[in-house]
Amino acid sequence: MTNKPILDIRNLNVIYETPTGPIVAIRDLSVSLETNQALGIIGESGCGKSTLSYAILDYLPANARRSGSIVFNREDLLLKNDREMQKYRGDRIAMVYQNPYSALNPSLTIGAQLDEVTRIHRGLSRAEARRESIGALKDLSLGEAEGIVLRYPHQVSGGIQQRICIAMALLCQPDVMILDEPTTALDVTTEASILDIIGELKSKRKMSLIYISHDIGVINKVSDRIVVMYRGEIVELGPQEELFNHPKHPYTRALINCMPRSGIKKETARLNTIPGYVTRRSADEKGCPFAARCEKKNAACEEQYGLRNIEDGHFAACDRAYATDIPDKMTFAPLIARTPRETAPSSGEAPKPRPDQVPPLLELREVYKYYRNRARTVRALDGVNARLDAHDVLGVVGESGCGKSTMGHLVAGLLEPTGGNLLFDGSDISQNWKKRAGATIRDIQLVFQNPGRSLNPSFSVEQILDRPIKKMLKITSRRERRALMIDLLKKVDLGEEYLARPSTRLSGGEKQRIAVARAFVTSPRLIVCDEPTSALDVSVQASVLNLLGELQEQSHTSYIFISHDLNVINYISDHIMVMYLGRVCEYGLRDDVVNPPYHPYTEALLSAAPDVDPAHRRQPIRLEGAPPNPSEKIAGCPFASRCHKKITGLCETTRPPKKQLSPTHYIFCHLNEDKLRGAAHL
Amino acid sequence: MKRIMYIARHNPLIFPALFIMAFWLAAAVVGPSLTHFSYTGMDMDHQMTGPGVGGHLVGTDSLGRDIWARIVYGSRSILTIALLTSLFSSLAGVMLGFTAGYFGGRVDALFLRFMDIMMAVPPLVLSMVVLGVLGNSNILTLTLIVSIAYTPATARVARGALLGCKNIEYVDAARLRGESHLYIMFREILPNTIGPIIVEVTARFAYSIMMVASLGFLGVGLQPPTPDWGMMVIENKTIIKAAPWAVLYPSLAIASLVIAISLFSDFLGKVVLRDQ
Repeated sequence: MTNKPILDIRNLNVIYETPTGPIVAIRDLSVSLETNQALGIIGESGCGKSTLSYAILDYLPANARRSGSIVFNREDLLLKNDREMQKYRGDRIAMVYQNPYSALNPSLTIGAQLDEVTRIHRGLSRAEARRESIGALKDLSLGEAEGIVLRYPHQVSGGIQQRICIAMALLCQPDVMILDEPTTALDVTTEASILDIIGELKSKRKMSLIYISHDIGVINKVSDRIVVMYRGEIVELGPQEELFNHPKHPYTRALINCMPRSGIKKETARLNTIPGYVTRRSADEKGCPFAARCEKKNAACEEQYGLRNIEDGHFAACDRAYATDIPDKMTFAPLIARTPRETAPSSGEAPKPRPDQVPPLLELREVYKYYRNRARTVRALDGVNARLDAHDVLGVVGESGCGKSTMGHLVAGLLEPTGGNLLFDGSDISQNWKKRAGATIRDIQLVFQNPGRSLNPSFSVEQILDRPIKKMLKITSRRERRALMIDLLKKVDLGEEYLARPSTRLSGGEKQRIAVARAFVTSPRLIVCDEPTSALDVSVQASVLNLLGELQEQSHTSYIFISHDLNVINYISDHIMVMYLGRVCEYGLRDDVVNPPYHPYTEALLSAAPDVDPAHRRQPIRLEGAPPNPSEKIAGCPFASRCHKKITGLCETTRPPKKQLSPTHYIFCHLNEDKLRGAAHL
Repeated sequence: MKRIMYIARHNPLIFPALFIMAFWLAAAVVGPSLTHFSYTGMDMDHQMTGPGVGGHLVGTDSLGRDIWARIVYGSRSILTIALLTSLFSSLAGVMLGFTAGYFGGRVDALFLRFMDIMMAVPPLVLSMVVLGVLGNSNILTLTLIVSIAYTPATARVARGALLGCKNIEYVDAARLRGESHLYIMFREILPNTIGPIIVEVTARFAYSIMMVASLGFLGVGLQPPTPDWGMMVIENKTIIKAAPWAVLYPSLAIASLVIAISLFSDFLGKVVLRDQ
């Protein structure tokens, strides 16, 4: 830590002038970045992380005002005019954005866009520039770089697009690279390999990084020092290991504790939550930014606060940061006792009855769903068999494009299968909403991913809840409907006063609660939850997961819970189904699936899932390349092209057999059981 | 409210625009009772006299008719026609555009081709031809024909607005509880497209005034002696050197109203569209 800082931000303030008065986006923020250091910035959305990165490059909207100083190589960037700033942007400080697809120009080839960088910034000739571009791509482990430069952005996968963006940033040989949520839009396995590459680059190039993310696990993997931001201020700052092992600020602790992770399951623990949500900060507000949501606040919090040094290099903005009464390691609230199942003798230790002994609530038999247009046929579901028991949560996990949402929409009735049957309680429901019986419609409900889109923005909460009650329950009395609505709101921990509120005035978490309440209007027997927490912040995700878990206990409803996040699935599910490219890889009780023997794909997913344990920086299994084109017919195992354990000559040509490993667990794979068990590195 | 004032402060042109609109609205409602001249009365002592002479506020035309009285009476017909036109064409446009966009596929393709054909003929030419054939035009025929001529454009706007909302999940949620197409179109989607549609109605209002004035100018609008702004311009064209006010003031009336409404429409766009 004797390095001179390459970037030194002192007392930075960013204020937005808005019709409703000034809003403080960043207040009195000081932080420095040393050479060859990775600074991780973490916080929920609206905490000013991206504003900070844009402030460094002076990319803020016109109504923003900056004050303080940003010293880069002894020059204050705040004093530069736009023309002078142009010398820093890209050349000295490069940036990688969240969505690679919108950061690349779709009408130019990848090579043209990469060459442009060196030709403009470094004045290279066409041939030299092309050589540099190919070299940069090869540095990022893109083997067939010569081919990639000739293609257009839409012809390569998201992971490769992001690597191209990183290559573009590297071509200028910047001193500082700012990465603003570079992997948020990507799948976990892709994310893992990008993070790997970023780590390699840092050590190879002696570059300084600023890495912004809302995901603690990701920050944990890449950073040397970590900044925790809340409402535009730094609340804690410290070295990676120290900060994760001994978090001092209540916000940091809360944030770490609300992450679902391996070992935390709904039967043994409830996730910690942070009540309330991030609010805007007005210019005249005083006191600790977190005071309103802090469980441990006292009178002093409203007045004085500020970063103080706790140990060497570890700062926290809290009076009680010294206190030892708070246990260091995460603690979890006691959970509600799991009510005995109706169909199973008891939960926990006792073995569940064999699947064939209880009639399933839902069964999928050889379900196919093809999307056809003139040019091609996309095989979204390619012969899926699955079952779901009453009062059971089936977690469906897989990367984007694996068909998990399609499956959910088929069950909910938004789509019709191309082939195969869906049986609900013994009766065939392989039709969409147009042809389904009223009883089926009432029995199967759907909770969507983004509550901002699934609740009509023109309606109030009352209108949103009232209509389904009227339409599906046919209750005519206004008073009865109102009583039912209040009841539903109580179920999702919201008060009566919410009825009058317009849905647009709710926070993300409140919106999703309303969406959940709407799904429970008809007391359905099955709810399809399609990524219900992926659009939410971690603290809100925790409370929604707790809520869904509790409601499921109380109401004996079954869930199909779809998510790309294995940690979330692991927390909420009884059974897990792993899907890849429209086919099932593995199905079984949760503990069967997340422990060896694994399907190689499950193994890769598990190894890629970001973790919050600071000591646990495990090496993920790198899945090379993209999933095969879903419009091509695959003769063998769909995962063969990326599998790290594949048997050459067999996996590509022959469909993997179903291997029943236990009465509750099966895997589709050619490998024998010992091979599947041999996952030594985990 | 605070936001509207903020936007108004940053777009100060809205204030004169509102004033002009209020002025013409007042003129149409109470104007006739404030002038003692009738729009047909010929003052034989004052023909082609300038503003102020003989109590004629902005002068007289070649027949000695009071120009101010004619403008004031003319504002009634032009405002009525334009208002009805913008309402009718928007209503028809929403119906057509929503149906086409909502059902998509062949319905939509058919609709689009039909609209292309309609739009290939400029609305002014279309209206002129139809009115010319019909001969004697009155407020009713004028309203009807201009509405029809403008419907394709509004239908396209409505269709576009619907397409922006059609694939949002709240529509799926409504389907999954078995709602009818009509309910989904008009209760779930319409409120979320009302912003662009309101802007379209006000913009259409300005276009309609222009159109009615143009038709009057071309002689297929309201028939004499009913005063009509466009017609007043062409009537007095021959005396433009001797009595420029007879052309100037009706032209000013048209221009001020059209510009004011256009400014208002832009402002409204900034207010309602930012919310979405």
